[in-house]
Amino acid sequence: MAAMGRVFVTGVGVVSPVGLGADAFGQALQAGQEATAPVTHFDASGLDRQLACEVKDFRPRDHMSAAEAKRAGRCSAMAIAAARMAVEGAGLTGEAGGSRTAVVLGTTMGEANLLGQLESRWIHDGEEKVPQAALPRYGTTLLPIHVARAFGCRGIVQTLPAACAAGNYAIGYAADLIRAGRCDRAISGAAEVIEKLQYAGFARLGAIAPEHCQPFDKDRRGLMVGEGSGVLMLESEESVVRRGATPLAEVGALGLACDAHHITRPHPEGEGSIHALRTALEGSGLAPDAIDYVNAHGTGTAANDKVEAQVLETIFGERQPAITSIKSMIGHCMGAASAIEAVSCVLTLNDGVIPPTINHAHTDPDCEKLDLVANEPREAEVRALLNNSLAFGGYDAALVLAKTGVLPGAA
Amino acid sequence: MELAITSLGVVSPFGVGRGAWDDALAEPTEAAERAIRSESEVLAAEKLPNTRTAECWGFDPKEHLGKRGHRTFDRLTKFLIAAAKHALIDGGVKDDEGNFVEGAPGPTQIGICSATAYGSLDAITELNLVAELEDPRFINPSRFPNTVVNAAAGYVSIWEDLRAPNTTVVDGNCGALDAILVAATHLDVGRADAFLVGGGEVVSEPLYRALARLGVVDPEGQGATMGEGAAYVLVERAAEAAARGASILGRLTGYGTAFAPPESQALLVHGSADAVERACRDALAEAGLEPSDVDVVATASSGVAPMDAAEAEGLRAVFGEGTAFATPKALHGETFGASGAFAMAAGLSWIGGAPVHPLTQGEAPEAVRTVLISTIGYYGNASAVVLQAP
Repeated sequence: MAAMGRVFVTGVGVVSPVGLGADAFGQALQAGQEATAPVTHFDASGLDRQLACEVKDFRPRDHMSAAEAKRAGRCSAMAIAAARMAVEGAGLTGEAGGSRTAVVLGTTMGEANLLGQLESRWIHDGEEKVPQAALPRYGTTLLPIHVARAFGCRGIVQTLPAACAAGNYAIGYAADLIRAGRCDRAISGAAEVIEKLQYAGFARLGAIAPEHCQPFDKDRRGLMVGEGSGVLMLESEESVVRRGATPLAEVGALGLACDAHHITRPHPEGEGSIHALRTALEGSGLAPDAIDYVNAHGTGTAANDKVEAQVLETIFGERQPAITSIKSMIGHCMGAASAIEAVSCVLTLNDGVIPPTINHAHTDPDCEKLDLVANEPREAEVRALLNNSLAFGGYDAALVLAKTGVLPGAA
Repeated sequence: MELAITSLGVVSPFGVGRGAWDDALAEPTEAAERAIRSESEVLAAEKLPNTRTAECWGFDPKEHLGKRGHRTFDRLTKFLIAAAKHALIDGGVKDDEGNFVEGAPGPTQIGICSATAYGSLDAITELNLVAELEDPRFINPSRFPNTVVNAAAGYVSIWEDLRAPNTTVVDGNCGALDAILVAATHLDVGRADAFLVGGGEVVSEPLYRALARLGVVDPEGQGATMGEGAAYVLVERAAEAAARGASILGRLTGYGTAFAPPESQALLVHGSADAVERACRDALAEAGLEPSDVDVVATASSGVAPMDAAEAEGLRAVFGEGTAFATPKALHGETFGASGAFAMAAGLSWIGGAPVHPLTQGEAPEAVRTVLISTIGYYGNASAVVLQAP
């Protein structure tokens, strides 16, 4: 194995609009399955848009005790479920906890639906009708608290609400904490739910597509709101060696920047994103041509896709790696997006199949240089990849994931 | 951990800027009388006739942000920008005109690690009222970004042109101290040369109503006094701060955090003495200090009895009954996610010579050189930081 300071993925868990668990999720992605359907979580008939990528078959009690399900809102419940899958996949059932296991989770709005319910009751029925016991269940900080309780983690418990880059933030930062010796293991990822106010806000911004999400297509009409949770079990090399665990992937460097340009739109030349991608590569000791695949942010909005294509052209030049946006299938799961996509990336590293960007008909001329995996999956040996994300607030975050033994310094 | 604090920017009930803060801490009893009032400027008296808050009285964003460009910003964003602006000037990074100073960290080398617990609640409620009482289609899209909790800190980066990583931390009352860990980690990795670290919180009707029902805040003094404001310290690697000749106000030398859930499966709210004890011991260990080396503990005590009791039990397990325990929230109220930043500000004032007041146990030495800052969350988490004189 490699020198100390390395961080490995030993388990993955996912609650997604196209399936629960890595197997179902991976198969659905390879099959090009699209989750877009009419919204059922709330009455969207009065809104300008009515479609979303909801998680429809998630029942908290399938994944947790009655007490956990009672304490947790839907967002936390999805995080617990995905975390449980990751812990079980890592072979750490019953021994994942302790003070040296951190829980770092990202989100955009956390238990937004709980807050929406409480406020609706308050507005329409009066404050006295709001159940007092329900009040403490709202709180963005609760996501990792619930997960830490579920596994007996007693150390670092943090929430990084980095909007649509929150998954990359949480996973990359958790890996940093392990490298810094602050913990030995980390349950890290992100969770998000579709909620009426947030959906209406995206609709008012004109960001939601009327029918399908079509990243990098000249006829794209916007994003599709999604939800879910993706969680990775991260471990130090020492922990992996001690247990004799088989890593699924190695975590490279997290590249971060802030555009400081506009609260919702990316920098027009992608300055921050270029910096994030470059520093992710440099921090991982990789040249651009070592990257075989980029999981694109690929929201299907013109503002994103054109800038992202320009950024990738700047980074990779004539030799473009394969690129895809699984948001065409599962929608934009906001805070959870890059965490769920990180799970997809780990699957690609292991099974050698890049999932497709579906709904693709006519490539946007500004995106023509991209090597887009359009409509059909592609078999390819992917040794190292970049998971790219951008977010509200001008956030840029890119994370390198690689097969074990690929990153420089590996034995 | 060896980080230098090279400035402080603060928006508080005492006014805006380090000078107003230090002046208030120099006369703490009078400052508290000015800060804590029963006539709110934020909460409508016809809806909430009986309140007690420590608000940023008379805060005028135009004085700090100018006349234009911030109409759609929420109160938290304005606080954060004002605090950041003052911290950048105080640290010699920007001049009084807002230009970056040569030789100091520039726009691509300064990031933000900003904490809040309930930062976007007011904005969410504002839009929920429109959606529920009128029509979701009437939501003002220019206000929608305020519902996203990291937007406020994002606006700071835009306003001040800070292009290094921007990270929001939401860890309840421990957020601002946990933001120090985030900044230290970013600095270790080399993602920037300096970070504005701290946070902000605002008094708002939905928060006040919810916490009043839970008995957390109470106008009769049986709970916490809801406070608000923003505080940022500029944090740099100590060697580099010294090399650029920055004025060093203090050093952050240790951090600890811990979590312990309640025994009962049915409980969610929980103050953990065990977590407080472990967080403090870890912070001291990292700083290479013994409990007896600490001159003052800045406690998180706010008036919420079960939380105060749990924290006191954890602190006494580490420090016994001789070390001075101070309660800075008695001066400026409970600022939740930002409270660790306000405690850092208090600690810097004490190191600078301000009287340590009020105390719940022990006596502080005349010259304070080492402060341990303690925070306790409502869900079983706790964090601690060691702040030392330069």
